[in-house]
Amino acid sequence: MRKLLFILSFFCLLGNVNSQAKEYTIQEIPMVHLQDRTRYVSNPDGILSQSAVTTMDQILYQLEQKTGIQTLVVAVTGIEGGDCFDFAYRLGKEMGVGQKERDNGLVILLSTDERCIQFATGYGLEGVLPDAICKRIQNRYMIEPFSKGDWNTGMVEGIRAVNDYLDGSMENIGGDEEEDMLPLYIFGVFLLGGLGLTGFAVWSQNRCPKCKKHKIQRISSQTLSRANGFITEETTYLCQNCGHTFTRKTKSSDPNYRGPRGGSGPIFMGGGFGGRSGGGFSGGSFGGGSFGGGGAGSRF
Amino acid sequence: MKKSTIIIIAVVAIVAIWGVTSYNGLVKMDESVNTAWSNVENQYQRRADLIPNLVNTVKGYAAHEKETLEAVMSARSKATQMTIDADNLTPEKLKEYQKAQGEIGSALGRLLAITENYPNLKANENFKELQAQLEGTENRISVERRNFNEVARNYNTSIRTFPKTIIAGMCGFEKRPYFEAEEGANKAPEVKF
Repeated sequence: MRKLLFILSFFCLLGNVNSQAKEYTIQEIPMVHLQDRTRYVSNPDGILSQSAVTTMDQILYQLEQKTGIQTLVVAVTGIEGGDCFDFAYRLGKEMGVGQKERDNGLVILLSTDERCIQFATGYGLEGVLPDAICKRIQNRYMIEPFSKGDWNTGMVEGIRAVNDYLDGSMENIGGDEEEDMLPLYIFGVFLLGGLGLTGFAVWSQNRCPKCKKHKIQRISSQTLSRANGFITEETTYLCQNCGHTFTRKTKSSDPNYRGPRGGSGPIFMGGGFGGRSGGGFSGGSFGGGSFGGGGAGSRF
Repeated sequence: MKKSTIIIIAVVAIVAIWGVTSYNGLVKMDESVNTAWSNVENQYQRRADLIPNLVNTVKGYAAHEKETLEAVMSARSKATQMTIDADNLTPEKLKEYQKAQGEIGSALGRLLAITENYPNLKANENFKELQAQLEGTENRISVERRNFNEVARNYNTSIRTFPKTIIAGMCGFEKRPYFEAEEGANKAPEVKF
């Protein structure tokens, strides 16, 4: 029954999403960068052509490699609320675009229903890419093609101009690497802790339950079951001190198991986009930069 | 030592530790309210700094719109005289501050409205960029105001909920005012392009 309810609610949810597909909320914008670190352009409605998206992705990937500036480009048909500035700003803030130490995130939002193009710059980019320059780029390269409905030209030219302006503005000091290191540290701590625990477990397991001496010897073991990647084994021990024999059941992961490991993970990583939620090796992350309302927008 | 004395000492120690940590927590929150306030003031200052440049640019094209230009300048000088120290931020003072800034806002709105009549001015690159900066500053102001309200609300909630309210009462932590929703006079100038 519970399963049925779950499935039903899932369909309800799907239906909801479908009916609102035109007006995106912040959470509904697919974050392609999180799945693939070389991608920056979220184009869920297919407003932009594949080749335009690829061109922009390449430019922005180069830009991030060189300067560390993280960009999020979103092209949608409509946004909830209809306030382009607010939406772009919140996208940047909630997704944490930009390196945490430098707040060098940039969000570029195109909404065709609202007929707006909006840049939102992180705190650290406000000096490098002032509002006036954002505006100038929009005026020179984007507004005209957009007013004719030529989204591809406007976006690609605009992104090129942004890239030309930002290229060389800052060095990639590798704030991102530090972000990448952090999970390593955590991993290290866990590893050490895990080793310690295992050592302790082995040490205490190594003890005869009767005379408490560390003199037990394994005599035999047999596998009871193999399921879902776990092996249950029953091992018989003999204490060499008092001659007591006993058995223990252990459950361990099966090294030969090739089943669905981890299952289908959660698609949304629930708020914690802070760059530490590693999903797959090729997935990128945003560093958790913050935004203070910089940037400029234009209507066309 | 008797068991009861040990218990009493333990309880006193726990209460003391709790008191110190919650006091420190409140101080931190108090500081973050101050920071948020200075961010708000910074952004208003930034807008005030943009005004002379903007007024000069407009003057070049529309010198005879003297009244409107002067209104902006006088609103600016009135508002920049008023700075509020974050520590004595009272609801009355905040209201006054908001009113003074709101006057700049509406004067600017009128100024931008008259620029509509000057196509040459509107085509001026410098003017366009100034407008972009002004718009960006208005956005920053609204972001910082929202942020201030959020931080202040957090702080107010903690000083008014039990049991931290005891500490707050003893150490004189006071409630902070909020920015009120914009009234007509305080609407940011609608910058349309």
